[in-house]
Amino acid sequence: MLGLGYTNTNRLMKTFAIVLTIILLSIMLFPFLVMVVSMFKSSEEIYHIPPYWFPQKPTLQNFVTVWHTIPLASFFVSSAIIAFGAVILNTMISVPAGYAVARLNFPGKKTILYAFLVTQMFSPVVIVISLFKIVIGLKLIDTYISVIVANAVFTTPFVIWMLNGYFSGIPKSIEDAARIDGCSRVGALLRVILPIAAPGLVTTVIYTFIYGWNDFIFSLTFLQTQDKYPLTIGLYQFVGRFAVRWEELLAGSFLAILPVLLLFFFVEKQLVSGLAGGAVKE
Amino acid sequence: MENAIGIPKKRRLGGEATLAYALLAPAVLLMLLFMAYPIIYVFVVSLFKTNKLARIQEFDGFRIYGKLLADKENWKVIGRSLLWVITGVTTKTLFGIIIAVVLNTKYRGQKIARLLFVIPWASSIPISVMLWRWVYHTEFGLLNHTLKSLGISANPPVWLGQPISAFLSCMWVDIWIGIPFMALVFLAAMQSVPRTLYEAADIDGATRSQKFRYVTLPGITAILLIATLLSSLWTFNDFNTVYILTKGGPAGTTNILITYVYQNSFEWLKWQKASALSMFTFVILSIVSFLYSRVYFKREAM
Repeated sequence: MLGLGYTNTNRLMKTFAIVLTIILLSIMLFPFLVMVVSMFKSSEEIYHIPPYWFPQKPTLQNFVTVWHTIPLASFFVSSAIIAFGAVILNTMISVPAGYAVARLNFPGKKTILYAFLVTQMFSPVVIVISLFKIVIGLKLIDTYISVIVANAVFTTPFVIWMLNGYFSGIPKSIEDAARIDGCSRVGALLRVILPIAAPGLVTTVIYTFIYGWNDFIFSLTFLQTQDKYPLTIGLYQFVGRFAVRWEELLAGSFLAILPVLLLFFFVEKQLVSGLAGGAVKE
Repeated sequence: MENAIGIPKKRRLGGEATLAYALLAPAVLLMLLFMAYPIIYVFVVSLFKTNKLARIQEFDGFRIYGKLLADKENWKVIGRSLLWVITGVTTKTLFGIIIAVVLNTKYRGQKIARLLFVIPWASSIPISVMLWRWVYHTEFGLLNHTLKSLGISANPPVWLGQPISAFLSCMWVDIWIGIPFMALVFLAAMQSVPRTLYEAADIDGATRSQKFRYVTLPGITAILLIATLLSSLWTFNDFNTVYILTKGGPAGTTNILITYVYQNSFEWLKWQKASALSMFTFVILSIVSFLYSRVYFKREAM
């Protein structure tokens, strides 16, 4: 009897969970559902009163048109340059730093770690005011480098903290063994530590990539010519125009969102446990 | 040679420290140049009158702070920012816990559901915010259409056109972006609570809600604190949502401190005021972080 009662509540809970999932998902995915149905509508259909959900004559025309009316390909290239640039710069400076705080003893270690943490409080918007002056001073206005450096700077503290967590988790004996075998410290870092920490490193790389791909504020402030705009700014300029062609814009948004989304699905589990683990580790 | 006589411990530590500083140098230099220096610079600018090109003119002391403290519009924006953070983080946390609990139940399709829940966070955020402009559209937007056809509201508001509804609309989009992170972090935390604790609770005859209250919640408190702190900082600093949806309008009624800073600087070219407002954001966020760290360390000491 006890067993039966338990199964019943369990089934009830399951049904309840599924119903709740559907309700919550339809709230969370609402704008994407709207995007997906609307991007197949012709302009007569999308500007119909009263509106309706599903396109009556689905068309792919918007994808063709948007490719011609806005320089989507150029926006894609810019986004990729910024995101990859941020990843490369960030990795080059964060890996040695992460190794140092995780593995070496030196005075001021705690201070440096906390100083990195404190930077998480600062909004890019606040920094961008004086960063703008620095960028002008260095004659870097309207260059990718300015946006890449800004994105690398803003991702570095968090990445160092995460790497600190990963590197600390690797037993010291492994590194000692490599050093007895004649590896230098740097050699041990490159040949032993990094391969073991690779899953963690993937997490930080993807974190930085997504941060750079999503950049809005730095591109908005530092870039001035259209051929350098990334997707975010390119599409935003398009929305800002007086006569927005929403059916095309939605098709363009879909194309812009897709690559990151696919990337994310591949690494979702790792990224999330990495973020949670890295953030919590002391 | 040196090994034979034994390297003194101090010397070895010295070598290690030198290496550490060398490895840290690029990161620290970059941080000093692009993070520390700008912050100091912003503070210095706030003490001077500025021209439209952000050039420093004459020394003004702390006068701008006095002006801002007496400025009603400024307090309105600060009040709105606090409301934005408190409501936002609370709602994100609640939704996050509910979704995590749901996803922690085993049912078919649960894995796909988890992937789908992440979409708002994983898709390019500025672009998702643009999508909402179309969703909120009064005549053609499918939100109002759905509200009408479900009979929820016969006369839905002009979402982004009126002060209160525009602010609520912005707030919702910010919440919507923040929910997936919360849900995933809580889910990870819940799954790290040892099974044996639940089994022990079962033996003691605990009900489902008792198990949640006495096993799950204490198990996730540490992560709850860190996640809500991070979320508070991100929510307070969320520039994209308001800027892309309304640019602070209509008539400045949706401005939060962070968008107000940007408008004062890059749009109205009031660099001194923008710099002083930036210092306000530091002060507010420092207080928030300080309070959190007190709670966090108090809990650890127990």
